[in-house]
Amino acid sequence: MGLLTILKKMKQKEKEVRLLMLGLDNAGKTTILKKFNGEDIDTISPTLGFNIKTLEHRGFKLNVWDVGGQRSLRSYWRNYFESTDGLIWVVDSADRMRIQDCKQELHSLLLEERLAGSTLLVFANKQDLPGSLSSEDIKKMLDLDNIKSHHWRILPCSAVTGEHLLEGIDWTIDDIASRIFTMD
Amino acid sequence: MMMSNSPGDFHCLSLGEDQEELFTENSNSNVVDTQFDIIIGYIEDIIMEEKFQTLQNSFLERFYKEFEETEENKFIYTDIHKEYVNVLEKCLEDELSMRVPDFSMIEFTKQIIERKSELDGEIFEILLTFSDFVAFKDMFLDYRAAKEGKTVDLSTGLTITSYSEMPCDRGEINFGQN
Ligand SMILES: Nc1nc2c(ncn2[C@@H]2O[C@H](COP(=O)(O)OP(=O)(O)OP(=O)(O)O)[C@@H](O)[C@H]2O)c(=O)[nH]1
Ligand SMILES: [Mg+2]
Repeated sequence: MGLLTILKKMKQKEKEVRLLMLGLDNAGKTTILKKFNGEDIDTISPTLGFNIKTLEHRGFKLNVWDVGGQRSLRSYWRNYFESTDGLIWVVDSADRMRIQDCKQELHSLLLEERLAGSTLLVFANKQDLPGSLSSEDIKKMLDLDNIKSHHWRILPCSAVTGEHLLEGIDWTIDDIASRIFTMD
Repeated sequence: MMMSNSPGDFHCLSLGEDQEELFTENSNSNVVDTQFDIIIGYIEDIIMEEKFQTLQNSFLERFYKEFEETEENKFIYTDIHKEYVNVLEKCLEDELSMRVPDFSMIEFTKQIIERKSELDGEIFEILLTFSDFVAFKDMFLDYRAAKEGKTVDLSTGLTITSYSEMPCDRGEINFGQN
């Protein structure tokens, strides 16, 4: 393959990845998104619609979609499934009361045809809060070991301290890239 | 749709492997480029025609007041985007199919996305509004700003508006939601 051809190909292949961030309300989705983007995270209010951010990371162009998680808004989630490469499921690890609700919502998403084949990253967020469940606990409570339909991983993290956020995104990108961008 | 990707034609030339590859690659991409450029030319014509212009304008006119300069997006933007694609991309696709046999919008849109960084200009902005939500939203925000004669003061983030109240007719499109 000639150099010109290679150069041309490199220029053409903008490696774009679409990530959809979902989870119950108050889980910390918008906070994670803003933390990533280096924005102020002190004045975030509940999301009533959706946010989009485009981030450049490791030569990838990440289009991250963050949709509001309040119960009344969850029926809108389906409008954002199309073309999703990676699903980031954010859990409030301190919210023991709603962990069953959280499990149900996640498992019904995994049945969605339009999310089939997407990579699943579970963020066990708010690890900085005392009394929060460990990611091991959450893995059990969400019954993650039974997921056979998606590549998945769970990571403990904190949107406030930033702990493990990057690691999670890197794993997600690697998993997606191994599926999608292998041809050249 | 653009090309049958068969390097077979060149085998008889018995070039060295590297050369053969290079030759094939180049000829392929040249044909694709030419096809691509021809289609772009047609699109240029179509979007300047009255049919398309009228559709687009009435669409912008009908919905621009829904769009606000806030970072968060409303769910209704997504419905409007869907409808926009249905109406305008459909118009473009119909017109193109009349000019290009076997035209596939899906294939073409893929090419556009791949070439996004190389391309600029008005056509590409319009085409991007079909596939790229952010481009679509920006188009509406620009239209609204122009419409309302807004002066945007970037230092304060405040906007001064002169606003003409026009009834926003949304009757024709049904957003029956979920
Ligand atoms: N202590 C702590 N608080 C967090 C963390 N992440 C988010 N929060 C707080 O949790 C609250 C909810 O965060 P959001 O980012 O708005 O949650 P969300 O998932 O976007 O919620 P919806 O938009 O309603 O779906 C905010 O007060 C955040 O400051 C974290 O890692 N640690
Ligand atoms: Mg939010």
